Formats: sequence, structure tokens, C-alpha cells
Amino acid sequence: MSTTRFVQLLDLAAGLVLVTSFAALWLRRLVTVTWVIALQGVALAAVALVIGAYEHETELVLIALMVGVLRGVVLPGLILRAVRAGDEHREVESLINVPAALLAASGLTLVAYATTRDVVALSSTPQVRALPLGIAVMLIGMLLIVTRRKAVLQIMGVLMLDNGIALVMFLGTSGVPLAVELGIASDVLLAMFILQVLTTRIRTKFGGTDLDQLRELRD
Amino acid sequence: MVGAALAVAAVAAAAAMIAGAVLPARSRVVWVGVCTALCATAGGAAATAVLTGSSTFQANFPNLFPLGGVRIEFDALSAIFSLATAIVAVPAAIYGIGYSAHGPSSRTVQIAWPLLVWSVMMVPAAGSVTGLIAFWELMALSSLVLVLAEHHHNVEARSAAQWYAAMTHLSLLAIVLALVVLAHQAGGDSFTAVRAGAGDLSPATASVVFLLSLVGFGAKAGVVPLHVWLPRAHPEAPSHVSAMMSGAMVALGVYGLVRVGWDLLGGGPTWWGAVVLAIGLASAMFGILHALLSSDLKRLLAYSTTENMGLVFIGVGAAGMFAPSGNRSLASVALAASMLLVINHAAFKGLLFLGAGSILSATGTRDLDRLGGLARRMPVTAATFAIGSLAIAALPPLNGFVSEWLLLQSLVHSLPSNAAVVAVAMPVAVAVVALTGGLAAATFVKAFGTTFLAMPRSVEAGQAHESPRTMQVGLVALSGVCVALALAPTALTSPLRRVSAAVGGLADGAPIRTNGVYLQLSGIQAGLSPLLLATGLAVLMIAVLAVVRRGRLHRTVRDIPAWGCGRTVQTARMEYTATSFAEPLQRVFDDVLHPEIDIDVDHHVESRHYVQAIRYRMKIRDGFEHRLYLPLLAVARRWGDGARRIQNGSIHRYLAYSLITLITVLVVSR
Repeated sequence: MSTTRFVQLLDLAAGLVLVTSFAALWLRRLVTVTWVIALQGVALAAVALVIGAYEHETELVLIALMVGVLRGVVLPGLILRAVRAGDEHREVESLINVPAALLAASGLTLVAYATTRDVVALSSTPQVRALPLGIAVMLIGMLLIVTRRKAVLQIMGVLMLDNGIALVMFLGTSGVPLAVELGIASDVLLAMFILQVLTTRIRTKFGGTDLDQLRELRD
Repeated sequence: MVGAALAVAAVAAAAAMIAGAVLPARSRVVWVGVCTALCATAGGAAATAVLTGSSTFQANFPNLFPLGGVRIEFDALSAIFSLATAIVAVPAAIYGIGYSAHGPSSRTVQIAWPLLVWSVMMVPAAGSVTGLIAFWELMALSSLVLVLAEHHHNVEARSAAQWYAAMTHLSLLAIVLALVVLAHQAGGDSFTAVRAGAGDLSPATASVVFLLSLVGFGAKAGVVPLHVWLPRAHPEAPSHVSAMMSGAMVALGVYGLVRVGWDLLGGGPTWWGAVVLAIGLASAMFGILHALLSSDLKRLLAYSTTENMGLVFIGVGAAGMFAPSGNRSLASVALAASMLLVINHAAFKGLLFLGAGSILSATGTRDLDRLGGLARRMPVTAATFAIGSLAIAALPPLNGFVSEWLLLQSLVHSLPSNAAVVAVAMPVAVAVVALTGGLAAATFVKAFGTTFLAMPRSVEAGQAHESPRTMQVGLVALSGVCVALALAPTALTSPLRRVSAAVGGLADGAPIRTNGVYLQLSGIQAGLSPLLLATGLAVLMIAVLAVVRRGRLHRTVRDIPAWGCGRTVQTARMEYTATSFAEPLQRVFDDVLHPEIDIDVDHHVESRHYVQAIRYRMKIRDGFEHRLYLPLLAVARRWGDGARRIQNGSIHRYLAYSLITLITVLVVSR
């Protein structure tokens, strides 16, 4: 693979990760958002795959396949089940409207670029130049958690946050040992399970997972 | 010997706490009382040994706490305060057996009580910064638990405990700051190291340390304007605890001030003394005025504690003003007056609080306007309360007189002074002490008269019975101490000399010389013989009694009212009440106290010319509380409300906080 092709593919994949996170803020149907998250997982796997292929590291390619299965299929599948199980409205309910959310996400992307300037200046490899994208996805994931009402969207936000972290990891360190990635993946899986169980329990107990209504539970 | 006694005290306190934890209610009270009394006796024995011998006691427990460990240094200054503690603690512990049997006998209270006694005893014995803070905090916490002892049926106790907890911990903060700065600058934790290193402190640092310790220890002593907790907390505690808190615990504020200001720091400029003196004058006046107008017996006693601590501060402040100008022997006399007052105050205030406890448990009320006529029903309480009242009013021949006389002598004889501030301050101080003495006499005439004389003003007062034997033992023992201190203060001359020697920055030499009967002050042409004075008074009294009796025997015509002018029956409603007794003096001080007075007049239904009932209510607000503390509290509350808006329970908001924090960290640490 030539270097030009590598840079193009890497930028495409990493850009796709960012674009999907914007799309997750923009779209209104819960099921579609889940598909977008799955697409983001695949894009993340593609980033790892491209880096692995370019540097001829079979271990990274292996990790990329695993990430693709886990973040592109298994975790979105779990979320989809949660979405389908809920007989509540399948619409996204947000504290701020879509244009505001997109504007905030753009702001966060700028913050990510501004704060990582020094890191990017350290090295001129294409991976490091794409590093701010990872930070931006992390921040947008947190924005999703903060602004959405349904608990299932909080789960998606956590997943997006973790995708951002993984992206930074791939881009910044050009591959971590398999054991570390395995550990992180199983952690996320576990967190997903716990969150899903919790959501189901909240729903059966209080009849809905609107976080603003859970406010009554304090004191 | 001293070490052994202190060890016995510690073991006895531990035994008392274990007894309080494991024994069943009835025997618990007895064993806790006995072991606590033993603990206090052992502490008193250690103090006496140090005060009569010339040795001091030191011990090190390096592993008791991390870093510093605890060091015990028992010198004469420690001993005089531990002795004051023992004087009130032993009778109070015995009294507590009877008092707790029908009152606060819960496990918590019975564990906290010996802990309080022991920690009050050990605070002066601490010889390192860590040790002092540890015992101080132990004392603060155990007394806080005891203030809350009766919170079940007493709502007041809860707010009192809140005030007490807040004030005592703010004062601890000031003390810790002062001591930590001191230890850091001196490069050592033990008092010996601090004393050695304090000479290198810059005057500004030394003054900051002094002012911090003045705030911290002044709050514990309950002096103006840090007194607000005292008239709340002391009345709400069980009475033997009140006696302990008022008689011994507040005096440790004085101990701390003298220890840090004039022992560890080695004294300072004249204005240190002037500040202490000014606080003392304000406290004495403020305390006694509020005591005079209070109609709650225990509240009255608590305000009188503020007054007495004010007097002690006057003595310490005067000594602190004399010492820098070179008049060391006069400073010794002023310091001796303060220390004697601490001892005397422990005896008579302890006695009066125990007496108030007897009245409270016999009648169920502390309201002076509902008492009366108890002298016949509670003769022992009445007699001992009378002795305490005479002592606290500083009337000869009782013990309060000796210390107040010493204080006045030291103030008066400073007058041909070359320092302008001394020449201005001392006449004012003399005037305030004299006025305070007069008002104290009026206060305790009121307290004794309305409680014990005349007719009972309520059913409960009419059905009162004398308290149980153990409580009487406590009362009689403390009045015995008062009388002994009155007749033989000469016994304290050599202890007071040792205390003077221990406070290096303030005094030197013997403040008082004695030949067994006669007290002679050093550097002043003044002397007093309490024993001769008492004998003279006794002879005079017997003579007057004899003449009166003789006159009665020889009189054959008796006066009987002819028609009585309508006053054929005397009822309790015709008597002076506590409020009405103090009313003329309240008018005199109207401009200072600003009392709120309500008069409700109910008219007869059929004619407005006939009055059916008149109600008179007088309430005096604490000026400091009203002008200083409540605005501060209001500001704090506004801040608290603001904080509540941040913390409103919305999960989104909490999540947003973490997002904002993350972004801030990213931007700042870039």
C-alpha cells in the first residue's frame, strides 16, 4: 500500500467515525441512531485495519477484526434489543434541539483541535494528525450522554465515548498489545450488560427511563 | 508518684467507660460514678504532688499517634488547672450517681461522662502540640455528646448542640492553625522544642500566633464576643456535666491562652495584655448584666461563667501589661489572682450548678418565676446554694472575696505607672470590677431569694422534696471546699509561687508571702488575713444575733396590723418575682440592653374600665448574637441556598458538570 493511499484511507475511516457521531446527534429515530453507532464501530475497525495493513502488523489486523465484530455487531445488537424491548416512543427526546446540538458538537470539535495542537506538533505522521478526531468523538459522546433523556441513549453515548477513546488509542500509539485491547473490550461489554439490565429494571419499576423523571427519587 | 497517679486516673477512666458500656442501667450509674470520682481523685493527687513538690513530670508515648506521638509534661501551670478540674469533678461524679439514676443513664452518656472528666484533666498535662490537640478534641466531642444527652424531650438541646459544635470546631481550627504555625517555625512538636524555637519568631508571626490562639481559646472560655454557645449549651447539659463544663472546661481556655501566649511564646508587647484586658472587661460587664436579668436559673449561672472568665481574663491581661514594663512582681500578683479565681470558680460554680440540678430534678423547672419557698423543703440544697451564692458574690468571708481582693489590689497598685496605656486602662478596669461585684451580689440575691425564700410560685415548687443522699454528698463536699479555700488560702501560696515560676514570660518570684494566717503581697503594701476576717465576722454575727434575740425576749407588746388595709392574706402572686426584682436595674441599663417588653391588658367583657388580667413579658436579646452572628448566618445560608441550586438532583446536570470539567481540564492543562 502506498503512503498516499494509506493517508487517504486513514483520513476517510477516521473522518467517518467523526461524521457518524454528528449523525447520531442529528437523526431522530432510535433504531437509526443504533445503526449509525454500528457504522461508527465498523469505521473504527477500518482505522485499525488500515494502520495494521500499512505497517504489516498481523496483531493489529486481528484486533481490527475483533473490534469490528464487537463494536459493529455485538454491542449495537444489544442496544437494538433494548430499543425494541421498550414500548416507549421510539423517538429521540433531547434537552436541546438538533441545530443547537450540532452547533455544540462543532464547538467541541474545535476545542478538540485546539487542545491537541501541541500533541500534533510533536510528530508529522498521518495517524497523529488525525488524533484530534478521537478527542472530538469522546467529547461528542459525552454531549450525547448529557443532553438525551432516554437511558438507552445514555448507553449509546457511553459506547461513542469509548469509541473515541479507542480511536485515540489506535492513532496515538499505532497499536496496543492484544491483551490490553481484549481487556478494554470485555470491560465495555460488561458495562453494556450492566447498563442494559439497569435500564430494564428502571423501566419495570418506574414505567419509563426518562432521566428527568428519575429526579423525583432524590432525598 | 505523679506518673503513678496519672496512670491510675487513666485506668479508672477506662474502667468507668467499660462499666458504662457493659453494665445494666442501675449498677452502671453507680460504677461509672465511683470510677470517675476515682479518676478525678487520682488526677487531683498528681496535681497536688506537683504543686507541693518542686518536681515536674514528663513522659513520652511516641507510638500512640503517627508522626508526633503524645508527650506528657505536667508542670505547675498544668497542675493548677488539673486541680481545679479535680475539685469540681469528684463531687460532680458522686452527685452524678444520684442525678443520673432518674435521668440521663443511657450508655452513650455514661461513656462520655468519664471521658469528659479524663480529657479535661489531661488537656493541661499535654506536653506536645499533637497531645494538646488530641485531648482538646476528645474533650470537645465528649462534652458535645453530653450536651445532647437530653435531646429526646428537650428541643432546645438540639439547637444548643449545633451552636456548640460549630463554635467549638471553629475554635479548634484557630487553635490548630496557631499551634501548627508555632511548631513549624520552631521545628519541633514538643513544648520544650517550641519554647526553645519561639525566640527566633518574627514579632509579626508571634502576634499572629497569639491572636489566633486568643480566638481559639477565648471561644472555649466563653468570653465576648465568642460566648454565644455558652448560655445555650451549659443549661441544656445534665447538671453535673454543666458543673464540669462551667467549672473546669471553660477555664482551659485561660490555660491555653497563658500557655501559648506567655509560656511558649514567652510573652510579647504590651498590647497583647491590653487586648486580653479589654476582652475581659467587656465579658465581665456583659456576662453579669445578662445574668442579672435572666430568669432561667441555669442560664443565669452560665452567663455568670462568662462574667467570671472575664474577671480571669482581666487578671491575665493586667499581668500581660505589667510584665513588658518591667513590673514583674505586680504581674505575679495579677496572675496569682487569676489562678486563684480559676480554683475558686471551679468550686463555687460547680456547687451552684449542682444546686441548680437538685432544684431542677425536684421541681422539673429552671424558671425562677415558678420557684420559691424551697428552703424549708430542701434544707441541704438551700444551705449549700447559699454558701455558693455568697462565694460567687465575692462577699467576705468566702473564697470569692480573696481572689477578687487580690485582683483589685494588683489593678489599684499599678497606678503610678509610666506607661500611658496602663494609666488609662487600670482605673477603668477597677471601676468595671467593682461594678461587676455589685451586680453579681444583686444577681445572686435574686437567684437565692426567689428560689428558696418566700412562698412557692407553682405547684411543683410546693411539692418539692430534698434530693437523694449522693447528690447531697456532692453539694456538701463542694461547699466544704469553698469554706476551706476561704479560711486557708494561705495553703495556696507556695503552689501559686510555682505557677508563677512556670510561666516564664509573665511573672517571677513569689506573688504572695504568708506566715500561716496573714497574706502579704510582694511589692505592694497590702495584706489580708482571711481567717481573722472570718473569725471577726462570725463573732460580730453571733453578737448581733444575741442582741436581737435578747430584744425579742424582753419585748412584751407585739405589733399586729389593725385592719390590714385589705391585705389579709399573703399569696405567692403578691411576691417579688425574679423579673420584678431585677426590673429597676434593667431600667438603669435600658440603653445598653434594649429589652423587648410586651404588656397585654385584658379588659372585662362588660366594661373597659375594669381590667381583668395584665401580662408582662420581657425578653432580652443577646446583642452580639443579633448584630454579629445572625447576619453572618444569613450570609452563610444564602451561600448554602446557592449551592443547593448547583446540586439539584438532575442527572443531566451532574453529567454536564463532568463534561464541563473535562473540557476545562483539557483547555487549562494544554
